[in-house]
Amino acid sequence: MTDAVRTHALLKRYGPQVAVAGVDLVVPAGSFAGLVGPNGAGKTTTLSMVTGLLRPDGGRAEVGGLDVWRDQLQVKARIGVLPEGLRLFERLSGRELLLYCGRLRGIPRADVERRAAELLRVMDLEDAAGKLVVDYSTGMRKKIGLAAALLHNPAVLFLDEPFEGVDPVSASTLTEVLRRYTASGSTVIFSSHVMDLVERLCDWVSVMSGGHIVAQGPIGEVRGGHSLNEAFLRLVGGPRAAGDAGLSWLGSQPASPAVQEEA
Amino acid sequence: MIGTAALFAQLKLRLIAGALRGDLQRKLGFVFTLVMAAGIAVLGFGLMTLVRLAPRDLATDLVVVAYTAILVGWMTVPLLAFGLDDTLDPARLSLFPLRTRELATGLLAASATGAWPVATLIVVAGAPAGLADGPGGVLIGLVAVLLQFALCLVLSRLVTTSLSGALRTRRGRDLLAVAALFVVLLAQLPNVLLNADLGDPAAMLRGAADVLRWTPPGLLAHAMADGGLAGLAEVAVVALLVVLAAWLWIKALNRALVTPDASTQTASVREGGGLADRILPDGPLAAVVAKELKYLRREPRFRVLWFSAIAVSVAIAFSLSSNTPGGAGPGLPIGVTSMAAIMIALQSGNVYGIDGPSLWMNVVAIGSEDGFRTDLAGRHLASAIAATPLLVLIAVAASLFTGHPGAIPLAVLAAWGALGVGLGVGTVTSVTIPYTVPERMNAFTGAAPGQGGQAFASAMGAFAGIFALSLPLAIPIAFGLVWLCAVAPVYGLLIETLGRRLGTTIGFARMPELVAAVSRPT
Repeated sequence: MTDAVRTHALLKRYGPQVAVAGVDLVVPAGSFAGLVGPNGAGKTTTLSMVTGLLRPDGGRAEVGGLDVWRDQLQVKARIGVLPEGLRLFERLSGRELLLYCGRLRGIPRADVERRAAELLRVMDLEDAAGKLVVDYSTGMRKKIGLAAALLHNPAVLFLDEPFEGVDPVSASTLTEVLRRYTASGSTVIFSSHVMDLVERLCDWVSVMSGGHIVAQGPIGEVRGGHSLNEAFLRLVGGPRAAGDAGLSWLGSQPASPAVQEEA
Repeated sequence: MIGTAALFAQLKLRLIAGALRGDLQRKLGFVFTLVMAAGIAVLGFGLMTLVRLAPRDLATDLVVVAYTAILVGWMTVPLLAFGLDDTLDPARLSLFPLRTRELATGLLAASATGAWPVATLIVVAGAPAGLADGPGGVLIGLVAVLLQFALCLVLSRLVTTSLSGALRTRRGRDLLAVAALFVVLLAQLPNVLLNADLGDPAAMLRGAADVLRWTPPGLLAHAMADGGLAGLAEVAVVALLVVLAAWLWIKALNRALVTPDASTQTASVREGGGLADRILPDGPLAAVVAKELKYLRREPRFRVLWFSAIAVSVAIAFSLSSNTPGGAGPGLPIGVTSMAAIMIALQSGNVYGIDGPSLWMNVVAIGSEDGFRTDLAGRHLASAIAATPLLVLIAVAASLFTGHPGAIPLAVLAAWGALGVGLGVGTVTSVTIPYTVPERMNAFTGAAPGQGGQAFASAMGAFAGIFALSLPLAIPIAFGLVWLCAVAPVYGLLIETLGRRLGTTIGFARMPELVAAVSRPT
């Protein structure tokens, strides 16, 4: 069986800075995969290159065995994307946005309308369906973005920080939808730095740090008997010994009184 | 008090310095601003002192009008051109433990810091040099200069603060974006005025000054010229007004600091299939046309572009028709309508600019050159659908105005041709020189910081291309072969198709670069 996603030595430079330094990402089909890493590890850059939104400086990316850049048409029909930043077509209403996305992909209007109505209901966006996206809150944007990404029933779904800034109610709606989606054999890859969430949802995890994959595999193997958080901190070179050097003034009973001046 | 003022002045300087860091283009822009401000300061001061050469009455009138213009500029330009900068929005500072008085002092100090405030002060200071007589006049003049400057600062603050609540809502910002149009219209005003026969400029000045004489800046100008007890009284009145405005401003500030933002509580929009779905078969093309037509209605930047295209063509039409000796021929309505069509088409010279950071949604859905070409065709069709009634209107108006009703169909046909040429050329500039259109357009630049060069190159390229490709038909039509107008739509469609093909070949291969170019931070 082919992997859902596989990259070979994927590389991206910004001037002298190497954002992604030869990444070999592997995600088996049907898995609920987490891509974790500290800020600046290259998660977003990697996902953008795999989804065809950013041109790599080197290496290859495949989705379902198809080259992302050579077989664009097939790949784009098979993937759904929700990038970070969440810029959507702001001057369409939620419903219009879904209709536009579906019809742009050539799905007949009647089908799109039916699917959009169901997605809006499941996402609990029926009341807001007629409002302009520009007036949506973060949680509503993530939900309508996910709905737009699911509309054409992709085989692989890429989500960049889908739970950031989302309230608990919306988050549970999102996870519910994603669980149902992977249960049918489709693949989800999402980036996050909330370890608890990844531990709870994922069966596959790839850990990135400094533009490299530092660990990758079934979540049990990567954890190796610890919690994912502990394993993660060990892999990426966890918190520096904070020491007592600074911040002595912080807290209710300052260790040294000599901090009040300054002003 | 002095400490707070100095701190805020420093903050403003730091913000200016921070905005310049690392970006050559911004540094050049800043140097340009400095040179402009210095130039205007010197020129303004010089002109103000030269007023002394004019007769006394005229001199006073000139200063009255100049002072009023400066004050109006201070009240409107920050809103139209720059919106709320960081030191202008009191909400940014509401979490700091500052008393309102301190905050007011600080914000005033911040608005007095910078190249333009200093330039204003220098220009304003030219007036006593040109107007005051005797020691009394000079003394009152100096006070009047400071009062005029204070009036500018306080009223400018009062306006931005009272509107800051509205400006933080989406609807408020949308409205303001359209307000930037007035600057575009004002820029055309001298053109229209010069060409229209409105009578003696001296009499106009006289009339304006008579009205403005009793406004605060008018009082100040008059006080300088008077130099006696009446002048003293006028200065006192304005001083009271400044205090009153400051008090109002502090009240507004207090209110602005505790009023929450309620911008997302908005009603639903009117939805519906619209025209596109009734006339087009279901599919991607209809989807694109429907989306574009909705954007034309709802996106404030589109409104600005369309209004300015029409305003500029009307102004050009006006000056052309009054400048043509011995009455205009049937060529004039044809030329004017085609010009309007080109102005409308030029908006498509950066067709992905307004989609901006949302363009990724198209890129993840479009996987073939066919899809890319369909998207372009949809955009062009939407432009043509929206432009046609306008062009017909302009053709009818221009033809009737010049007394050539027979030219109406010819003008419409020629305009369709021009529109096609413009859209075709615009497609190529869109994919070769894309740039970000900032969320908040102002009247002075239509590109994101650092992309002014691209915007200029794109506009020049589009102009040059449209000009060159229009010549084969424009020249014979100009020499009287007006029947060639009938061929124009076909020619336009040909250029549009060729442009769309070329644009697709170039654009499809570089979609990620397109997204990056139109998604720059603004």
